[in-house]
This record gives sequence, structure tokens and C-alpha cells, in this order.
Amino acid sequence: MSELSVQRTGVIHDIGYRNYDGARLGRWYLVRSLFSQSLRGAYGLGRPVKSKIMPMFLLATMVFPTLIIVVVTIVTNLTELPLEYTEYIPITFYLTAIYLAAQAPQLVSRDLRFRVVPLYFSRPLTYVDYVLAKYAAMVAALLILLGAPLLVMYGGALLADLPFWAQTKGLAQGLVGALFYALVLAGLGLMISSVTPRRGFGVAAIITVVVVTYTVVTAVQGIAISVVDNPTLATYAELFTPFNLVNSFQLWMFGAAENPIFDELRPPSGWQGVVFAATIVAVIAGSFGFLLLRYRKVSAL
Amino acid sequence: MTAIEIDRVSRWFGNVVAVNDVSMSVGPGVTGLLGPNGAGKSTLIHMMAGFLATSAGTVTLDGVPVWHNEAVYRRIGLVPEREAMYDFLTGWQFTLANAKLHGLPDPGAAAQRALETVEMTAAKDRALGTYSKGMKQRVKMAAALVHEPAVLLLDEPFNGMDPRQRLQLMALIRRMGADGRTVLFSSHILEEVEQVASHIEVVVAGRHAASGDFRAIRRLMIDRPHVFLIRSSDDRQLAAALIADPSTASVELDGRERALRVHAVDFPRFVAQLPRLAGEHGLRLYEVAPSDESLESVFSYLVAS
Amino acid sequence: MNTVLNPTIAAITWRAMVGRRRALLLLALPAVLLLFAIVLRATGVSDAEVSEGVLGAFALGTLVPLLGLIIGTGVISPEIDDGSIVYVLAKPLSRPTIVLTKLIVATACIAVFAALPTLIAGLIMAGNEQGLAVAYGVGTLIGGIAYCAVFILLGVVTKHAAVAGLIYALIWETLIGGYVPGARTLSIQQWAVSLTSALAADGAVTANVRLGVSVTLLVVVTVAATVYAGQRLRSLTLTDQE
Repeated sequence: MSELSVQRTGVIHDIGYRNYDGARLGRWYLVRSLFSQSLRGAYGLGRPVKSKIMPMFLLATMVFPTLIIVVVTIVTNLTELPLEYTEYIPITFYLTAIYLAAQAPQLVSRDLRFRVVPLYFSRPLTYVDYVLAKYAAMVAALLILLGAPLLVMYGGALLADLPFWAQTKGLAQGLVGALFYALVLAGLGLMISSVTPRRGFGVAAIITVVVVTYTVVTAVQGIAISVVDNPTLATYAELFTPFNLVNSFQLWMFGAAENPIFDELRPPSGWQGVVFAATIVAVIAGSFGFLLLRYRKVSAL
Repeated sequence: MTAIEIDRVSRWFGNVVAVNDVSMSVGPGVTGLLGPNGAGKSTLIHMMAGFLATSAGTVTLDGVPVWHNEAVYRRIGLVPEREAMYDFLTGWQFTLANAKLHGLPDPGAAAQRALETVEMTAAKDRALGTYSKGMKQRVKMAAALVHEPAVLLLDEPFNGMDPRQRLQLMALIRRMGADGRTVLFSSHILEEVEQVASHIEVVVAGRHAASGDFRAIRRLMIDRPHVFLIRSSDDRQLAAALIADPSTASVELDGRERALRVHAVDFPRFVAQLPRLAGEHGLRLYEVAPSDESLESVFSYLVAS
Repeated sequence: MNTVLNPTIAAITWRAMVGRRRALLLLALPAVLLLFAIVLRATGVSDAEVSEGVLGAFALGTLVPLLGLIIGTGVISPEIDDGSIVYVLAKPLSRPTIVLTKLIVATACIAVFAALPTLIAGLIMAGNEQGLAVAYGVGTLIGGIAYCAVFILLGVVTKHAAVAGLIYALIWETLIGGYVPGARTLSIQQWAVSLTSALAADGAVTANVRLGVSVTLLVVVTVAATVYAGQRLRSLTLTDQE
């Protein structure tokens, strides 16, 4: 039986190695595809049902209060929204923090865990492209999360016949603020998650950083204002936790007189604001740089 | 005699039926669980090891159900497929920990014995994280053997092993079976099962397709033609004689092989008729060989059906 | 003793907890607290009131839930996640014993990384004025144990224990608890606060939930979570690599 098969002469039929000579879509297409796949993954689209629950739940929870605000405004005939566009995100920052903690690892840790990063880089995709695509996807995902409630508020305000230009200006301010939030948070979130292939660890680390810095800063501010009476210290303390950093920055940028959430805390004025702006740029650049360094060397990562 | 009884077991995950009404009995000696990927082998092994509940049917070890029964692990050793172990422990510490967790009276001696059996005593003081795949597999075996179980379940043990490691592991499994233990291992690679198992259970698409000695299984499938390759002194004349007989479905003269290929549908009658017809026509038979007797062809028939 | 604590599992779990990157996170949090306390003391700002504020907001409010989450999920989730728990489960050990052992290791971690630093921070800031340092130390310990029990249960029941735990700690306890007073009755943090309030000098710490209710619920939740986790562990399903 097997002796017969051995005596047989083998023939390989030359059907010709089929090369592909057609059009190739190039690097930009790769980056765009990675971007859109990551963005969709941040909301669980294109993934099993279980992955959709958390992001969709958080998105719904972000938007829900604005629906209530809108209804209240319309029904009670208020002349302006009870809440400024720029106030919404700082007030609900826990939700955004949870979203970041839950989804940033989804974008980055899965590739590390299953060791597919070398596969990405064996295509015409450089590590810069990879980082760009992931960063942009996280920013976009956060923009959706942060922008949706603002848009709902805007729509409701228009429905309630509130003055058009004032509302549009408010929305624009809110969206600009949202953009800065997205940039800073995406950088921090991705930076922390890219350190470890374990998703659960990334979740814990991001939340820890956000919550611990917030607590420390709040404690310092409490002491600075009530105990040592040093308001400047309180203002500068805002630099050290991401949500407050961006909040103070947008208050400075849009010329607010006082911090709507924490009355006694003075928003930065004049040159102080420049420090905040510089810090934001430093955080974004630093996170991006960290990610580039992280992905520059790919072993079986 | 320690036997695992699988009685009309089914397991479904939502709409997907992974194991479909399987009944089998696994007794002492080495049994190979054979099937293509996705056939339900791992599901079956997890159910036998008490790590997955059946959706229907029961899995028992000597009459005692395996599910929700921690005491049964005194008699079962499991070598799981997944590679993850406690990377920071050394091979020795890991085996010793397993011995202690079994509550053995002399865990050190048991661990030493187990490591000697799998020939891992040389590297036992290195951390598990530094081991190669084959070394990890052997330490997993040691951990499963440390309490001298009567039943040994191995889930795809030869995955990713190089030929030398595979030979060592095969020898070890054969030895375990010869000791009288009930050894069950799963594989989708036919040569491994062929060389080690005395008894095979074939699972295809969740169904229990066949069990027994693989040659015997083949013989049982009389609805499939047996193919013989015959060389004789006059192939054409033999062909004419054979096709006249109802035991032959087709004959083919293979010009390149210079042989006669015969599809026989009635195996017992054919093997009686062939020498008789050859004798009647004064032909000499130089070579008569079944050309599909290997496990491979058995397998492909089963899979194709 | 062996029906409660299995020394081998305890040793392995302890080594896994403190021997890896997780240990950095475990050290980082109390380090921040201690640093903060030292800075406050050095700048002369620390007195009983400040101490109460910091310990209340930082230790009980942040340290305990976070460390409870990290430690509670850390003693069991990684093992279930990568499948190495099979080596513990394929043994003739009672599952409740396994859970209890892990809870004991978690308690030790809480004591070392949360309760002790809280005590020390309190002592640094204001000595044991008004009994605050000791009270917060004990409150942190007991609250931490309760958190660990709940998070161990989450780790056994779901793959997404970390995020689920976060939602509980942040959304339920902090956000909703901040706006809906009734929700405070169902908050481990508030029970710990009540306990602390009872142990400290009168009026030093304001409790939002009555002591009797808090202590009862702490005990009930801890015991129930542990028992249920032990039962669920019996039905743990091991699957192939995802």
C-alpha cells in the first residue's frame, strides 16, 4: 500500500504562481481602515453583542440627563438652558472616565495580548501610522461621547425657541472644549493601556490615575482655600488632573469669571492660562511621543 | 476497572450543538479521541473532567457523576490544552504545589517521582516562564500524575511539539496505558493516534462517528467500496473475470502504475473470489494491496460523509 | 484550619499579587496618601479637621474602593482569564475553601496596602487626635474586606469584573450616592464611614447611615458574597483559548 505510493513518481503541475498586479490601495487606505475599525470597535460595532453593552450604556447614560434638561427647559419655558454647554462634561466626568477606562484598553491591549502587532507592521503600515490611527480613533470615539449630549442640548434649545446665535456660540464653545478633552484623555488613556497586554489591568490603571489625581487635587484645593487661603495654589492645582486641566483651560479661553462647579476656585487669568495651554500641549505631545516610542520596537511584543 | 461512562451526552451553546447525543465507554488502556477541529473533542474532554456541564445526558466515573464532584479529582489527572501556568514558580515548586493541593502524605517524594517519570528533573529549578513548549507540556503531565490517578485525560497533548518531544510523549502515554491506567487523549493528527492508541473514538461534527480498532472500523463500513491495487500476469484477463463477479463494482487498468485497480463492494466475497478466479484462469497474482487501509482514508471517508 | 485556609493556594496567590506589575499599582496609591500626609504635616497645615477631610475623601473615598477593586479582582480574575485556575480546581478541594483562602489573602493585602498606610497617614497628620487615625484604619480594613468579597464574586461570575466593579464604585456609590440619599444605604463606602464614625470621638466623623444597619449589612454582604462565590466556582466552565 504505502510502498506503491512511494514508487510512484510525483508530478507538480505548474499552474503558475499567481501574482497580483492590480491596483493596491496604499498606506492612506490602511490608516483609514485601521482608524475606522478601531472607532467602530470603541462602540462595539462589528464585535459580539457583549462588547456593545458597556459603550452603548455609557453613551445612553451621557445623553439621558441632557434629554431631561431639554424637556425641563421646554416644559417650564426657561429663557436659557439651566446648564452651560461647557459645564456638562466636567459635571459628568465620571462617566467619561469610565468610558475611557473601559474602551482605551479595548483599542490597544487586545492587539498586544494576542500578539498581532507584528502582523500589522509587516504590511505597508508604519508604527507612526498605527499610533496615528489609534489615537485618532480614540479621539473620535470620545468626541462622539462628549458631543452627542451637547448636540441634544442644542437641538432642544432650538426647539425651545432660545436665541439662535447665543446657542450656536455656546455649542461651538462646548464642542471646542470637547475636542480638547478628547485629545488629552485619549492620549492619557492610550498611553496607560499600551503598557500592558492585560485589559483588566489597563482599566484599573486608567481609573486609578483619574480618580486619585482628582482626589488629591480636590483635597489640596480644599486646604488651599479654606485653610491656608492661597487661591493661586488652588488654581494651579487644577493642572494635575486631566478633567480639571481641560476645564480650567476652556474657562480661561472663553473668558469665564468664575468656576461654575467650584465657586471659590478662580479660573486662570492672563498668563496663568498660558501655563494651562502649554500643559495641555505637553500632555498631548508627551502621550503621542510615548506611544511612538512604545510601538517603535516590535518584537513578539 | 476504572471506566468513564458517557451516556447520551449532548452539549449545546445557544444554537450551536457542540456534542450531539454521544455515548461511549472509556476503559483501561490508551484511547484516542479523534476528530477534525471543531468536532467537539475539547468539549467532550472538559465534560469528562468536570469542567463543563452537560446539556443532556450524564458523564460518570465508575458510576459517580463527575460534575459538581470535587472528590473525583483524586482519581482524575487532567492535562489541559491551554499553556498558561504560574510563570513565577519553578517546575519543582509547581509540581510540589500540585502534590500538596492533592493532600498527599509525602508531597516531596510524589513530586520527585512525577518529575522523574516525565524526565524533567534536570530543569526543575528554572521558572516556568522560561520553559519551552515541550517542557511545559511535560511539567503539566507531571502535575497530572503526581497523585497517581487512575484516569488521565490529555487535551491535544501533541500540539506544537517537535518530532523528538512527540516520540517521548508517545512513549510516556503508552507506558501509562500499559500500567493499566485509563488514558484518553484527543488529537486531529492521524499518525499520532495510530501509533499510540489501541482504541479510537471518532467524533465528527459533534456526533460519535465510530469506535474501535481503526482497521476494524474500516471493515465495518461495507457500504464503501474497498479499493485494491493488484498486479498479475495478465491484468486485463483478471479484470474481465473480476467484473463478471457481483462482488466487484469496477475495475480500472492504470497505465502509469501498470496495475489493476479494483473497487470491491463485498469484501468477504471478494477476498474469497480473487484467488479462486485467478487460479481458474491460470493467472499469477504478484501483488494484492489494499490502497485505502490507512487511518487517513478511514478518516476522510468518515469526514466526507 | 485547613477547611478555611489552604496554605498552598494562599502562598501562590500572595506571590502572584505582590510579584508583578500589579504590585506597583498597589504601592503607588498608599504612597501618594503618605506623601500627601507628610507634605501637609511639613507645611503645618495638618490638624484634626484636615486629617478627617483627607482620610475621609482619600482613604475611604478613593483608596479603599480602588484597592478593593484591584486586589479583589486581582486575586482571582487573572487566573480565570488565562486558565491557570484549572490547576487549583482539578483537585479534591472544596470550592468555598478556595474562595475563602483568596479572601484571606486579599484581606492581608488590604491590611498592608490600605489600612496600615491609612493609620500611619492619620498619625502623621494629627497623631491619634479624636481617635481618627485608628478609626479610619479600622474602617478602611473592614470596608476593604467587604469590597474584596464583592469583587471576588464579580471576578468569578464575569469576565468584565473590573469594569463592572468600576460602575458600582463610581456610578452607584459616588455619582448616584451623591444625589440620591437613599442610595447611600446600599453603599459599602457609607457603611465603612458609619463604622469609622462610631469608633472615632463623637462628632468627628459624620455618618449617613445608622451604625446598626451598616454593621449588619457589612457582615451580610461579605458573607453572602463569599458563599455565593464559592457556589459559583463549583460551576466554573473552562473553555478553550478564546
